[in-house]
Amino acid sequence: MDKVKRKRERLEMIFDILTIIRNHQNSIKPTPLLRQSNLSSQSFTEYLNELLEKDLVKEITDENERKFLTLTDKGFKYLEKYKLILGFIEEFEL
Amino acid sequence: MPPFHVIEPARLLVELIYTLIVVFLCFGIFYKTKEIYDLTKYEGVKYFRIAFLFFGLAFLFRFLSIFVMLMGITFDLDISMYLFRVFPLAFNGYFSTMAILLLTYSMVWKELSIKNILIVSNAIAIIISGIMFFLRSPTIMMGAQAILLVFAIIIAIYIYSRSKKISRIFVLYVLFILFWIVNLLTLGPKRFVPIEIQTIFHIISISVIGIIYLKVSKWTK
Repeated sequence: MDKVKRKRERLEMIFDILTIIRNHQNSIKPTPLLRQSNLSSQSFTEYLNELLEKDLVKEITDENERKFLTLTDKGFKYLEKYKLILGFIEEFEL
Repeated sequence: MPPFHVIEPARLLVELIYTLIVVFLCFGIFYKTKEIYDLTKYEGVKYFRIAFLFFGLAFLFRFLSIFVMLMGITFDLDISMYLFRVFPLAFNGYFSTMAILLLTYSMVWKELSIKNILIVSNAIAIIISGIMFFLRSPTIMMGAQAILLVFAIIIAIYIYSRSKKISRIFVLYVLFILFWIVNLLTLGPKRFVPIEIQTIFHIISISVIGIIYLKVSKWTK
């Protein structure tokens, strides 16, 4: 696959994952998120680690010790600014 | 015969206004792109914004070099050569070389993916500024940066030849870097180019960076 395309698709994939979380009332368990993201388990883990590292999502645990993923303020900001981000990257061919 | 004063208030004023505008625009680009970088940590954005930060610093040191040089010549001051003249020149060389390299790399990083680009570009910039430091020659910096610019153009042409389109933004970058190099004439033996010509160069240079700034502003509301 074209390297340029692949690097831009990464931003798109992050956008898709964040959108799935938001569309589930901002709370979703990792397994359904993996299923809905259409990624391999390995890729999903990579993306999830990246999202946690970039502070776009956070893990929360409920009283029954079940893990959920939820967007941070930065995650919401990413969704809000996504089109501008893509526009900027395209305009300056970054 | 009255003493010949090389320092011209008009020239200094033009340089000061030019520096303030360009530095404001360069730092403005760096500041405005902070949010996009914080959200994405995208490599291309990182190099792009660092390049403009370095351009801003390079313009500041360029002004400092001109100011100290004109003061020294005019008042025949025995100022510390290294502290006030050679250091600004060396810093100028370092920051501008880094800026040129990183701005070019921001456009080609997807294709080239050079590991440790910051170390590589730092090494090149330190070598160029080191030469400046020891030889005290802005002409050498102009030559070195002209070679870098030609090198950047060749890489870009090679990459763009595949997509068969001319990048308008790259043309703007080339113009901006070209006018930066032309502006280095102020530091060299041809520093006394007529103020009218110098001002025209400055206006074109401001227009180019202004267009880049406006394009950045469009996407960073």
